[in-house]
Amino acid sequence: MAKLLVVDDEANIRLLYAQELSDEGHEVVTAASATEAVEKLQAGDFDLAVLDIKLKNESGIDLLQQIVKERQTLPVILCTAFSCYKDDFSAWLADGYVVKSSDLQELKDEIARVLAKKQKAAAT
Amino acid sequence: MDWECCWSKEEIAPESCPYVGEGEEDLYTSHRRRVVEKCVECPRFKNDLARMKGTGYPLSDVLPYILTEFQEQKSQMGAMLSFLNSKNREIKFLREVGLVLQTSLDLDEVLSIAMTAITAGKGFGMNRAFLLMTDKERRNIRGYLGVGPRDYEEAWRTWEDIGRSNFSLRELARDFQKTKLSSEKVKFHDILQQLTVPLADQGHIFNRTLLGKKPILVENALNNPDLDRGLARILGVDTFLVMPLISRNRRIGIIIADNCITHKPITLQDMQSLETFAFPVAFALERASLYERLQEEVAKQKAANVKLREQQELIVKMEKMALVGKITSSIAHSIRNPLMVIGGFARTLLKGSTENDENRTYLESIVRETRQLEDVLSEVLDYSESLFPVTDYWDLNELVRAALAELSGVMEQAGAVCIQELSTELPMVRIDYKQISYCLKTITATALSTLGQGGELTVESLQDGDGVMLRISDNGKSLSRKAMETLTAPFFQTQEMGEGVGLSLCKTILERQGSTLSITSRPGGGNIYSIRLLTRKENV
Repeated sequence: MAKLLVVDDEANIRLLYAQELSDEGHEVVTAASATEAVEKLQAGDFDLAVLDIKLKNESGIDLLQQIVKERQTLPVILCTAFSCYKDDFSAWLADGYVVKSSDLQELKDEIARVLAKKQKAAAT
Repeated sequence: MDWECCWSKEEIAPESCPYVGEGEEDLYTSHRRRVVEKCVECPRFKNDLARMKGTGYPLSDVLPYILTEFQEQKSQMGAMLSFLNSKNREIKFLREVGLVLQTSLDLDEVLSIAMTAITAGKGFGMNRAFLLMTDKERRNIRGYLGVGPRDYEEAWRTWEDIGRSNFSLRELARDFQKTKLSSEKVKFHDILQQLTVPLADQGHIFNRTLLGKKPILVENALNNPDLDRGLARILGVDTFLVMPLISRNRRIGIIIADNCITHKPITLQDMQSLETFAFPVAFALERASLYERLQEEVAKQKAANVKLREQQELIVKMEKMALVGKITSSIAHSIRNPLMVIGGFARTLLKGSTENDENRTYLESIVRETRQLEDVLSEVLDYSESLFPVTDYWDLNELVRAALAELSGVMEQAGAVCIQELSTELPMVRIDYKQISYCLKTITATALSTLGQGGELTVESLQDGDGVMLRISDNGKSLSRKAMETLTAPFFQTQEMGEGVGLSLCKTILERQGSTLSITSRPGGGNIYSIRLLTRKENV
């Protein structure tokens, strides 16, 4: 399937993402901070990144902006506890937006939708 | 000698003197008074004096001198008496007027007493008067009020009424203020409008009067080379008095008075009396105008204070709400992450467990309860977000179509049919799009929960006065009155609906935007949820 980078400062959430998304057949690489995420992005090719907005002392939105600037082809999904960011124009740069939930189905559906869109774009 | 006049008789028979009138019958027997009051004026007496001249009576030559002197003295006495009487009346009248002028702070009352005093027979008895006031902002003198009849017919009618009423001057003024002041302002509107003169036009008679601080009696105005003939044409008279109103060297205005109906000449005495009267009028007018302005300023100040207090309260309230929102949001965020981990791993474990696993029930409980907690958390977060609406003009029908499209899956699952009856001629509504969309979805979801399989929902939009009505009706189970009331209280719990903040939040959201939510029973079963939305910005 796809190679995903998941960025979240909560270890348990990284573990949960890794477990659930691996079950879907994806290769999951996790990062605990924006700095670590940038390093991992430089180290390998990814098909999609899932970012938390509130990172310890860092901002997921800043990371999003950096990714959009440097890697225009990498789609990004924001996954956060705050639904209000959906209306923040700075979050519009992302390809998808999901509010954190114990039911990861919405995130999985969103990943599938964004990847399909990417593939369609690549085909044309 | 037989005299023609009765001067030599002590007593005379009734009707023997044609000059003794009705009510003067006592003169028949009062010799001295008859001679002094009647005989000295009688032509027969003069004839007798002439006849006496050649008869050798010693006093016959000097009597005519004494008589002439007596008549002159008598005439002077009469004139003085009349003058004193008129002055006496004037003092009484000025005292009466002065009392009102000194005490009144009501501009209309001052105007009424002043203008009534000038035009009433009990006052100065002028036929008509115009008051012109100086307007310092516009730098001109302009017509303010005219009082008096417009034509003969009105004049006689008014004077007859006044004659019958027997009112005192003060009562007349009060009656005038109550019944005529506003109509008089309109009656002479055409003339008053033409009387505006710039203060800079120093040659104009109005400004000359004000600068000279003395009244000017204008006579033969149509042929007066010093005067603009237009003014006489506007007033329709060629004799009128222009009286300055000066208070502490400040030019308050002028009064123009004339006798347009009777054409009675305006005497020097009229002028002097009016001049005496003009000073307290000017003072009272200035004081009442200042008081009126002061009252306006006080009212403005009070309104500003009220507004300021409201704004301060609003700021405090908003600060509190912002704090509540921040705290709620922070707590919710702190809870959401652990909840996600608990629920998420429970789901992972559940997926990996077999049907016979005894822990499966526990895991299912954890998943279910976590989901419920997450739902409550979302509602609490939505509630704190709802405190700050961002309103703009939106097409309600577009909003309805988009919101219902999002719910199509849920409706299909519930086996419900949704009918849209949207009016095509609706004005734009001023709303927070996101919040109203939330309300529509929440209300629709609430209505769906009362519907059985195959139930029907109708969503209508229609014009409602100057607003727009959005109505959601279902044909499900009618809610009890208690349920309807509790539905809109936060965290309600009814047997029919369970508990939550959904409709309470909708109500709060709508009220914050100046809209309303009402729930009523539908005849024949079901419920109607009515939302009334505003089409323009209002203070909410």
